[in-house]
Amino acid sequence: MPRPSDQDRPSQSLDADWLETLVGAVARDRDRTAFAALFRHFAPKILHYCLKLGADRSTAEELVQDVMLTVWLKAGSFDPAQATVGTWVFTIARNRRIDRLRKEIRPAPDPEDPAMTPQSHATPEESAQLVQSSRHLQDAIGSLAANQSEVLRRSYFLEQTHEEIAEDTDVPLGTVKTRLRLALGHLKRSLGDKA
Amino acid sequence: MTLPLHHPDDQFLIGYASGQERAGKSLLVATHLAYCPDCRRRVASYEALCGNWFEELPCNDHDGLDALLDRMDGLLTAARAPAEAKPSQPVAANQSGIDPAGGRLVPEPLRGWLPEAIDTPTDDGSWREISKGVWLSGWERTLSGTTICLLRMASGAPVPAHRHTADELLLVLQGAFSDEYGSYALGDVAQYVADTDHHAQGASEEDCICLFLLDGELIFLDEAGNPA
Repeated sequence: MPRPSDQDRPSQSLDADWLETLVGAVARDRDRTAFAALFRHFAPKILHYCLKLGADRSTAEELVQDVMLTVWLKAGSFDPAQATVGTWVFTIARNRRIDRLRKEIRPAPDPEDPAMTPQSHATPEESAQLVQSSRHLQDAIGSLAANQSEVLRRSYFLEQTHEEIAEDTDVPLGTVKTRLRLALGHLKRSLGDKA
Repeated sequence: MTLPLHHPDDQFLIGYASGQERAGKSLLVATHLAYCPDCRRRVASYEALCGNWFEELPCNDHDGLDALLDRMDGLLTAARAPAEAKPSQPVAANQSGIDPAGGRLVPEPLRGWLPEAIDTPTDDGSWREISKGVWLSGWERTLSGTTICLLRMASGAPVPAHRHTADELLLVLQGAFSDEYGSYALGDVAQYVADTDHHAQGASEEDCICLFLLDGELIFLDEAGNPA
């Protein structure tokens, strides 16, 4: 399988556009060189993510293969207006590892379900509020204190217990709990701001 | 149509986005999302945050991965490209989530878990009356340690005093109810932390039917406040 050289990989700031281009090439042309570049970018991250969440090495490698095969098959349904490529691949990896490591199915709404309340059912006032509320949350996420964001990351993304976070970051348990409470409070206030 | 006013706490939304939340509460969160465009956007924002964290993971561990890429070669050839995803069709107004009997369909993902209809007659054996005008469904599931069933309240009927040692969550699927904190209509979520007092009662003409989630044991109390 062809592999791109490291020189093909542009700087971090162009990553998002570069990744979108690669997914587009896979979707349109079944481009294996583009797929190899996506693999080299994401496979180590998927591996790392699964190992952190308790998979052994061989299960983690199976998950890498499974997630990347899904990327190959579903590239055509990737929508850059909805999410970045990194977020899209994260959601695939998240769903696969819940299925594989927890033996659970992740419940999700079905966008085709006629019983789902579409956004168009919102009144104009409600729609304006939706946009504003979403912006407030983006601001709140962006303005989280670094140590609060780190506790959120460890707690929700790496699924560490409060005790594990305290030990890993060499911070007292009470401080971990306080930072988590402050972080969630900060995010929740963005909801109140819309009123 | 009015959108839900009472949402799950952000800890549930971020836990659902990251995958940290387990299946039981995820079922309630996901069903609320079907009612609530606002929370769908919030979850998308939290997924983007997780996507950033995912992108920050190290990308230097290539041991064995090159071999894995080579092994995928055959898989890619074997895997057929799926048919183009169909663009979603706008739903005609006369079939937008209305069941044949005229009620509003419970949205997915909950609908797939439930018996066919939720507002079956209360005397057909599928409901257990726990006090006058208040029923629990015979349908009950345990998912990831959370007990899930339906709670039904007739208009004005108060849920008897009860105690729970862990968190309790309600999601309104039909009608409305109220408690000392507010009133809850279709798609709204009420959260009660362990050992809090709260007094829900049906507040709509039709019976109010809720998805009811409990992490611990539920103990109804008699008039003297002792376990019944």
